[in-house]
Amino acid sequence: MKRLNDCRLYVITGENYHPGRTMLDVMEQALIGGADIVQLRAKDTPKREVLAQAYALRELTQRYEVPFIVNDHLDIALAVGADGVHLGQDDLPLAEARRILGPDKIIGISTHGIKQALEAERGGADYIGVGPVYPTGTKPGRTAVTTDYVREAAERVKLPFVAIGGITLDNVNAVLDAGAAWICAVSAIVGSEDVAGACRSFLHHIRLKQIDSMISSSRKVCVNGREERTTARTVLELVEQLNLRDKRIVVELNGEIVPIESWVSAPLTEGAVVELVHFVGGG
Amino acid sequence: MITAGHEDPLVIDGKKLSSRFFLGTGRFPSPAVLQMALHASGAEVITFAVRRVNLASVEDDSILQHMTDRELVFLPNTSGASNAEEAIRIARLAKAAGLGNWIKVEISANPRTLLPDPIETLRATEQLAKENFVVLPYTSDDPILCKRLEEAGASAVMPGGAPIGSGLGILNPYNIGLIVEDAKVPIIVDAGIGSAVDVVRAMELGADGILVNTPVAKANDPVAMARAMRLAVEAGRLSYQAGRIPQRRYASASSVHEGISMPMAAVAAASQEGSH
Repeated sequence: MKRLNDCRLYVITGENYHPGRTMLDVMEQALIGGADIVQLRAKDTPKREVLAQAYALRELTQRYEVPFIVNDHLDIALAVGADGVHLGQDDLPLAEARRILGPDKIIGISTHGIKQALEAERGGADYIGVGPVYPTGTKPGRTAVTTDYVREAAERVKLPFVAIGGITLDNVNAVLDAGAAWICAVSAIVGSEDVAGACRSFLHHIRLKQIDSMISSSRKVCVNGREERTTARTVLELVEQLNLRDKRIVVELNGEIVPIESWVSAPLTEGAVVELVHFVGGG
Repeated sequence: MITAGHEDPLVIDGKKLSSRFFLGTGRFPSPAVLQMALHASGAEVITFAVRRVNLASVEDDSILQHMTDRELVFLPNTSGASNAEEAIRIARLAKAAGLGNWIKVEISANPRTLLPDPIETLRATEQLAKENFVVLPYTSDDPILCKRLEEAGASAVMPGGAPIGSGLGILNPYNIGLIVEDAKVPIIVDAGIGSAVDVVRAMELGADGILVNTPVAKANDPVAMARAMRLAVEAGRLSYQAGRIPQRRYASASSVHEGISMPMAAVAAASQEGSH
């Protein structure tokens, strides 16, 4: 179940944001809207009640085939067969949690600075939370780390990271611009009149950003007469993407033959014309 | 005296070849048949075409993966080129593959006959020879043109016997004979061969070698035809070297006349005498 690289929208429960509606209804709407990972967070709720909610969410997330994470309570996570836990800096240490949960469970760690992020990465976390990006009612009193930390995390953290804290549809683009690919929202989703619609809007912004970055990091080239976009930056990367690395082929770039030893440094620029040839039967 | 198995290498640009049979690799029913035919042919020089890698197909269509590690001379052709510039470009691409610097210049000007464009072929040969390619131009069977190609730096000249793949044989043996007589570089008859008889014919005319593809690849049994042509090359070569008898209009008995034993003729003559 550890496919966190594909996660785009993380939704966390927040019962106080939706008086009059049940947590299960709200979370199902989030799943309908496209939430691809769900966390149960209920800091001030009696444990037995949390356990009951966890069982219910486990069943719900299983139906939608989405990972289910329990905040803080390892025992509850184990009891209901959750996919993992999310731990804060003051919760059980990562190493202890890993020892108890084993290698297959997801462990996420909240971090508020790059030092904590790198420590979690070294410690074997599966993902980290980066936040709070903005001041948030969910974590009152905590200083916002701003998009500066998101940018730093995007540059230096290899683990999947989720940007969290005060993110709304109004500021999500700034967070995405800073390099986040995975967004978590609580109040902006579960507090919305239209939970599924809010999820869809978030995902729309995330996808547009993904497409943007894909286009800006790719160029239009013509390979063997076929116009296509490629993310390859050099001839070598193109040849590797086409799985031709170990074939005896000859590469011509804009009318000039590129010797094999120069593939690594021959840049594919916008509009490049590439011909890839080899020997076939002939008389 | 020439005996079978004697040392009679064909030398092109200093490269000694013990086989005078060059084999093309196109249009074989399968790579396995090509491999067996190549073995049966004894060919040391094999030709290829240069084409785009098919990016839509994951299947590896490169011919080289099917080649054994037997020492072969690779002779890529410039087929597909319709002028000297295109041929030169293909030659440079082929050379960049790192399999030697031999190139068969092939510039077709007419899609129906695939006959070579003499002017463009001469231009490409000149340029590629300057670039230190070993140039083997495929050309029409014109003796003057073949001489000009030689002077332009061709390492061997390859006149066609007939259009490519036509199987019409040696349409103008007179011209092939003149070409061979005048040449200071090897003459390889390329294109038009139909069966072993055409191979023998060309070799008897004094050709130094033969290049075939279609008549082997498209024979009912390509492997058997490869062997037949290998033997025909050897037979034709030996026959040429052995020196044939002149052709004449009437018979010339192979047994001497004197001493014919004719007892009945003598009896008949005696009884004829007696009846008088």
